[in-house]
Amino acid sequence: MASISSRRLQKELKEIKTEGCPVGITLLEAENFDKWLFSIEVMGESQYQGEAYTLMFRFPPMYPIESPAVQFVVDQTHQSPVHPHVYSNGHICASILGTDWSPVLSVVSVCVTLQSMLASCKKKERPPDNDQYVSRAPDNPKKTRFHYDDDTV
Amino acid sequence: MGNSVSSGGRNHHEEMVDFGCLTPQGVYTGPKDWNHAIVTQLICERRLAPFYRPLEDYEDTWDEDQILAARKDLPEPENGHSESSSTLRHESSHSSGSKPVHGRRPNMTKDGIRCPEAAVYRGAVECPICFLYYPPNINYSRCCDQAICTECFVQIKRAEPTTTHLISEPAACPYCVQDNFGVVYKSPPWRVGIGSDGTTLPQWPDPGSLNAVDTLRLTHKRRQKSFGYDSPEVVTTDQIRPDWETKLAAVRAAVTRRANRRIIMRQVGDRLIPVGVTSGRVHAISPEEAGQGEGNDNGGSRRSRRQRNQNQDLNQFLGSMGLGGQDLEELMVMEAMRLSLVEHEEQQRREAANRDQNTSNNPDAAPVSGDAAVSPALPLSGTQSISMPEPESGSRTPTPSGPTPAPSAFIQPSTATAQGGPSSALGIEGTVTSNRSLTPVTSSRRRTPSPSNPHLADNLQPPNQSRSWRRRSSSPRPFSTIAAAMSATSTVTAILQGDETSSRRDNPGGTSGSTTTPRATGSSMPAASSSPSTVSSSSPSISSIPSSNSLDAAVKLERPAMSIQTDSYASSIFSTGSTGQRPASPYDVLGSSPDSEFSREPLLGNAELDTPTIPEAGLPEVIPSRTGEAAVE
Repeated sequence: MASISSRRLQKELKEIKTEGCPVGITLLEAENFDKWLFSIEVMGESQYQGEAYTLMFRFPPMYPIESPAVQFVVDQTHQSPVHPHVYSNGHICASILGTDWSPVLSVVSVCVTLQSMLASCKKKERPPDNDQYVSRAPDNPKKTRFHYDDDTV
Repeated sequence: MGNSVSSGGRNHHEEMVDFGCLTPQGVYTGPKDWNHAIVTQLICERRLAPFYRPLEDYEDTWDEDQILAARKDLPEPENGHSESSSTLRHESSHSSGSKPVHGRRPNMTKDGIRCPEAAVYRGAVECPICFLYYPPNINYSRCCDQAICTECFVQIKRAEPTTTHLISEPAACPYCVQDNFGVVYKSPPWRVGIGSDGTTLPQWPDPGSLNAVDTLRLTHKRRQKSFGYDSPEVVTTDQIRPDWETKLAAVRAAVTRRANRRIIMRQVGDRLIPVGVTSGRVHAISPEEAGQGEGNDNGGSRRSRRQRNQNQDLNQFLGSMGLGGQDLEELMVMEAMRLSLVEHEEQQRREAANRDQNTSNNPDAAPVSGDAAVSPALPLSGTQSISMPEPESGSRTPTPSGPTPAPSAFIQPSTATAQGGPSSALGIEGTVTSNRSLTPVTSSRRRTPSPSNPHLADNLQPPNQSRSWRRRSSSPRPFSTIAAAMSATSTVTAILQGDETSSRRDNPGGTSGSTTTPRATGSSMPAASSSPSTVSSSSPSISSIPSSNSLDAAVKLERPAMSIQTDSYASSIFSTGSTGQRPASPYDVLGSSPDSEFSREPLLGNAELDTPTIPEAGLPEVIPSRTGEAAVE
């Protein structure tokens, strides 16, 4: 039998395929139940108008009891959005990806949350500790214990 | 605690409640770290939905065949209930005898006769977390009335405390994020299996009838108000994991222990030698040691085994956080210190030899030379020469030859301190050895029914010869440097508490009757008796144990000693915990409720005691651990 993670992702995937993703969110890749890629674009007027970012989900075996590892893809062709909660290595400081994760959340609901996080951004800037964090950040953002200090964005 | 339920494979299948099971059906494959006994009881009491085999999918229009076909395959053949589950359900139904529940096959062939185990799925509810379907009698969150299956519920727990996050908050509701997540369960109006009295008959709705589905659905009306987390009908996540406090305390203690780690220096002449680190960590018990432990127990007390398992759990838990066992860093430090000390002793020996030749009549030289000869007898140096302890035991510490050497060593801290000049640092070890050499004499009171001269044998034994840690009193210890230094330090603190110990000394056998239990302490006591001056006179900032801990240390010294009455250290420790001897100890082991055996068991203090260390080695561990516990309290 498949693990709870693939079992649930199977159902999420089925739902995505039958009902589609919300506007601005596109499933790029879901070839297995370890890693999914989404494209995220902020619709309407925003700091990020016309920009599309790639969001990577990595799923632990205990998903959805455990949160997925979610980050923006950063490589030669991809950048992470410049945002006070997004580090230049793609890591995201968002409580729902850490302590506030709930098993009721889903891949799509995370996408929507991050989309709205970008949409509500007033000023494009990196987190104040970006350089410091990026220099020693673990590969998996879940290994970082973020301090969630801003409820407004 | 433990997996007694899931391991009871034989009659597992008779343990059914309302066509559901008492054990999880494999939706989650992670650790099953909740308290199985409590969950089982809650299911039997109909306060938590049983573990039903979930349906992959469900449609109201399905017939029973479809329902049964949609039941999830069971993943684990470990209990052998995977492939045979459905038939066994019938057996259990029969055996429960509540009603002539018909077997599936005959039923399915006849129209109109329903199979109850399919019927329970009528109106199945999808669990919003695992996305699987369960019978409509499912748990609902106490706060926001959302469905949650038992499989998912038992997965939800407090965040594990980490070294950087030393608080633990109750799990929040996954749906509405309210604190103290809990569920309420309304059982069906009928009862089958455990807890059924045989009179209530399942009232099945008409097959395939939509009305029937509606009826079942209506059994769960939207609740108007939420339940408080302390309501009697609510089952919270903490209730099924009562050990969360222990875990938190363990992590906190481990962190504190780390923070309080001190390097112990010994002053020799004008030199400071690092001889150890205070360490209070829990030893990870290797399977081998555990096995030996079993042997020592005569296969005996279940409690001690249970305790050991508990410790293993705890050790695993701590180990998974990088806190368990002995960590590499510490081992390296200790090894470096050991080498340093060995080197130093070598040098001392040479000097002593020189001095011996020069001033053979000088009385001051006697102890030193004696030490040089003696120190190899200690496991730490564990090498060439054979110990010649008797001369020193006569001259230095007259008391050990008496019937109660330990107390007398205790009595005379000042004397010992006076004796122990800086130059006699090694004399400490001489004293140790001399005392140890007395072992055969007083062997009737020693816990080790040792051969006539264990020390000799031990010294000849390769240090890595893995004898049981349990018998370490007579076997070389890998890091005995530490132990020796530690016992010295412990005694310092003990002596600091001279008043208390001496008052205790007044009735040394008071609690334990004829068994002169303080013996074990005695073997380490004299070792340290001369060291206070050295240790404390050396730079206090480095070596001194915080004075606030001294009481604990001194007190804790007594505990292992009192329990050393049987061959099995672990079991005897346990008896210490359970007999009237405990009250002699002026404190309790972190006892939130000292009277309850259960509450005491998992606590760290006992956990450490249970690790198969001899008292001498146990002492050093004791110090920081008490510190940790103090912090927790």
